Amino acid sequence: MSIRTEEMTLNMGPQHPSTHGVLRFVIKADGEVMREAIPDVGYLHRSIEKIAEKVGYHGFMPYTDRVDYVCAMFTNQGWGMACERLGGIEVPRRGEYCRVIAAEFNRIASHLLSVGTMGMDIGAMTPFTHAIREREMINDLIEELCGARLTFNYMRIGGVAWDLPPGWREKALAYLDHFDPIWDEYNALISYNKIYVERLANVGVISAEEAIDYNLVGPNLRGCGFKWDIRKDIPYSVYPEFEFDVPVGRGEYGTLGDAMDRYMVRIREMRESSRILRQALRQIPDGPVLAKVPRNFKPKAGECQIRVESARGDMGWYAVSDGSGYPWRVHVRTGSFAAMGIINKLSRGLMIADLVTLIASLDVIAPEIDR
Amino acid sequence: MATGYFGNIKDAVTSIFEGLAVTASHLIRKPYTVQYPDRVPVRIQDTLPFRYRGILEVDLDICTGCLACERACPIDCIVIVVEKDKQTRQMLISQFDIDIAKCMYCGLCSEPCPTGSIHHTTEFEGADFSLESMIRRFVPEPIYAYKPSKGPETDPRIIPILNRGMRYVNEFAQPGGDKPAAEEA
Repeated sequence: MSIRTEEMTLNMGPQHPSTHGVLRFVIKADGEVMREAIPDVGYLHRSIEKIAEKVGYHGFMPYTDRVDYVCAMFTNQGWGMACERLGGIEVPRRGEYCRVIAAEFNRIASHLLSVGTMGMDIGAMTPFTHAIREREMINDLIEELCGARLTFNYMRIGGVAWDLPPGWREKALAYLDHFDPIWDEYNALISYNKIYVERLANVGVISAEEAIDYNLVGPNLRGCGFKWDIRKDIPYSVYPEFEFDVPVGRGEYGTLGDAMDRYMVRIREMRESSRILRQALRQIPDGPVLAKVPRNFKPKAGECQIRVESARGDMGWYAVSDGSGYPWRVHVRTGSFAAMGIINKLSRGLMIADLVTLIASLDVIAPEIDR
Repeated sequence: MATGYFGNIKDAVTSIFEGLAVTASHLIRKPYTVQYPDRVPVRIQDTLPFRYRGILEVDLDICTGCLACERACPIDCIVIVVEKDKQTRQMLISQFDIDIAKCMYCGLCSEPCPTGSIHHTTEFEGADFSLESMIRRFVPEPIYAYKPSKGPETDPRIIPILNRGMRYVNEFAQPGGDKPAAEEA
């Protein structure tokens, strides 16, 4: 009798602390090295698209918060824009500014959570508490703006529900003044830490062609060195009025398109969001924030597709109206779902411990995968 | 070769101490956490902003029985029964229930309310032992609906309630309206 080795099938999730929600992987491993990791999605499917057909255009807005609860402002904005395009409604300029301000704050909050959990997933607990602290301050600001900390329901069809409260602008600027030095502190704490860099560099390398083939969007695509940002390339809202750069991966610590590049893109994007916010808060015009939209909103029959650059990339909102008060079909295209597709390919030959790094670097959010 | 090896060690050590310096600086900073729930100087509920969307409450004294909130609710967690009293020809509210267990605190009901009767409070601690006890019944016995007077309100009992309600309603952006004063105030 001879000693033989065999492939081991492991189960990771759905309740695993580092899979960022209920997400399951079936791992075929040879010792510590994975043959493949098969993502098994669907544990958080809540038929949000079907719900839209039952609750109507206005009533669906709070449900969009649940599509991606980490950056709910973008899902709000996507749905609002889809309805506005269907109904031919123009949002007042101040309303658009309020949307951009809320959304960019939300982008910083989302990236902070992503950066913090990235550290926690590979074993660094301290950065998480630091990142959460700054995110908490943004939550406080948004709470004052719209009354909720996570499921905002801030935007309405035709604008936003609440104007900026008195004195909020000064508080927001004070936060940005506090945030910019803290950004350098994060970098000193983790980004340039040798152990951290070693864990992330050369892990999960994606080339630009591959990223496009697998339909990656947002920071995952930009991390491969491909410059594609909906805010710049297909401008919406009032983004053309702001001056900002689109950070891309440079491969400064390892190969271009590795986990470290994706991480650095998020870190740099926070700086750019801060720049946009300063401009937006400075040049916000006076005027109404909400267009007149009938409570019984019935757009003409037709369909539309909206693209929004959310914190997790190009988010698509497809809505079909048949002329009644309820949408005929709604579909959401999210960045996390696309990112799940490439995990199987990237996991081949990777260590099991690096799978966690890979998931964290793709920044997937379970409700966004399944809706 | 050897310089690269030792350079890596030097990099690792300096970058670790850089991180530790950040951590150490927090020893002299003010802590950001609070000892919820019992060791906070002020109740958390009192520190929350005015727009905070907590547990719903209804002021029946100023409820007009218009059913706008019931229609706006996307999950039908509000049930109102209004009938016309044949003798006095006034609207009689006999039931106003809100299922707090079902409510998702979206705020769509308080937006169309004309008087601010239904509004979110800053209360958020709603844990209870049964789902039945989560249903808030606001009408102990049938009550006549509030009828807005043509001029300013004269009933001294209603005035403070209505003022509070209108302040809540005015927080919401008016469609097409302009509120430049709110920014400067």
